[in-house]
Amino acid sequence: MDNQFISLSSWPRAILHLDADAFFASCEQAIHPELRGRPVITGKERGIVAAASYEAKARGVQRGVRLSDVKKICPDAVILPSDYETYSLFSVRMFEILRRFSPDVEEYSIDEAFVDLTGLRRSFHGPYEMIAAKMQETIQQELGLSVSVGVSLSKVLAKIGSKHSKPHGITMIPGRDVHLFLERLPVEKVWGIGPNTAAFLNKCGITTALQFARKDGAFVKKYLSKPYQEVWNELNGRSVYPVKTETKNGYQSISKAKTFTPASADESIVFAQLAKNLENACIKARRYRLAATRVIIFLRKQDFTGSGVELKLSRPTAYPVELFELLRRGFRQLYQLKTLYRQTGVVLAGLIEEKGMQYSLFDDTTKIEKMAKIYESVDLISQKYGKHTIQHAASLPTKLQAQHEGARGDIPVRRAILLKGENKRQRLKLPMLHVKV
Amino acid sequence: MRTNTVFLKVVYSPEDLAVLVGPGGVIRDASITMPQSYRVLGLVEAGFPSPAEEELRDTLSLDEFLIQNPDACFLLKVSGDSMTGAGILPGDLVIVDRGQTGKSGDIVIAEVDGEWTMKYLKKSGDSVYLVPANPSYKPVKPKHELKIAGVVTAVVRKYK
Repeated sequence: MDNQFISLSSWPRAILHLDADAFFASCEQAIHPELRGRPVITGKERGIVAAASYEAKARGVQRGVRLSDVKKICPDAVILPSDYETYSLFSVRMFEILRRFSPDVEEYSIDEAFVDLTGLRRSFHGPYEMIAAKMQETIQQELGLSVSVGVSLSKVLAKIGSKHSKPHGITMIPGRDVHLFLERLPVEKVWGIGPNTAAFLNKCGITTALQFARKDGAFVKKYLSKPYQEVWNELNGRSVYPVKTETKNGYQSISKAKTFTPASADESIVFAQLAKNLENACIKARRYRLAATRVIIFLRKQDFTGSGVELKLSRPTAYPVELFELLRRGFRQLYQLKTLYRQTGVVLAGLIEEKGMQYSLFDDTTKIEKMAKIYESVDLISQKYGKHTIQHAASLPTKLQAQHEGARGDIPVRRAILLKGENKRQRLKLPMLHVKV
Repeated sequence: MRTNTVFLKVVYSPEDLAVLVGPGGVIRDASITMPQSYRVLGLVEAGFPSPAEEELRDTLSLDEFLIQNPDACFLLKVSGDSMTGAGILPGDLVIVDRGQTGKSGDIVIAEVDGEWTMKYLKKSGDSVYLVPANPSYKPVKPKHELKIAGVVTAVVRKYK
């Protein structure tokens, strides 16, 4: 039975998943060619590894490891502060290059994309593998970035493909080969299957992705909820997750978290950091015309342990002024005296669209309208003069102290260069190559 | 809605009934009774006409003028003086197109035997040289390896 094909037809659909290899670190190597072939790590400002180049990974450096530990296992590692402006420029370009090949590109994350290639063989006069290779080659040539791609019948299968051979791999999984790839894949490695579901499946005697795919529909319907039924279909080569081409215009939640150095035990500073995260999250929510019904806040101590609390709102809002009192109450629950904190975070959840908002009889609508006007002005001023030109007093202490002091306060090279005509906030929209010629 | 294309002619009948005539002269709205004769009064555009927009359609922004392939272009700040003869001075910004591999005569950014440089690329027969535009430097002939990172397509010097 295990030799049975999942699909007799090789390419009823062709969905490509592209995953950039060690994206942040590769961007750094692309703009600093002298770093090619060397172990490069980003995340200096956070004190932990955000991304490690393949050279660093080969030396045992993993994501999330503390930088002090990195220096022990890989003393010659080049550790850089994250330069999100440059990474974003590369990301946008990567998606633009993909759109040269197909109009159906889903920007899944900063370094991942899905592309629907179905039906494009004729216009490219070649097989899907050739199109995939051409994409990979173009991104390598024009951006100097290495990417891995997988092509198969559904998103879940394509994702298995892109992981299969990394870095710089191309993995084709046509219908008749699907079972060969699923055979050796533990079921918990399938995209969308979490540890709990995997544990449950293991109890049912399912350990590999193939065993799961071969389970009959009745079992799947009876014991698993809809998302897993969908994964099951996708594993069987029946594409149910479409490639979503529209750029993101909605969010289910918005989270903002920032680490600061040195860690602080000062209540007003820690609260100010939290307040600033709230301001930032609300700015983003307002940009997408969303309002939150729940707010989750968390504090992380110097020893990396943390605690959080969820606050429910009586009315959806994206105006910090209305939330500070609640924020302070939540903060008091979490904050412990004489404890060093290194990070705070805010998550706006239960987001609803502003225009569909309903007020209750007891809401003071004139006040709300006034607030809306004030924030509209604040956002306009920010657009013109930069974020936090006007800020709430609660977050003021963050202005008195740099986000990171000491070595961690190093800023990315690009931010240290100010070309004539550029200002602190606005820079040319081109990545800079840093070579001495 | 505002478009720039003229998609319909509006024809007025003697009774001042507006009738829409498509490109092939087909009457689109059949519910309007056919009058005896038509008098064409002129063309009406959908939306307000904008003469400026019409005239400026075939112009380039400075961005488009300097950058042909926006996905593959990078900025590079020049520090050396080996290309002063080509008008590239220390402190200038050059735009480097990584999508191009370089033809003879192009100014390229290249890695020669482990050293980065900006020079003219000269190819003659099988041999490849990198030629500076400054008499105090000598042409370079790669001993082991030559990697071309991109082609210089423009130089930007801002005075104020």
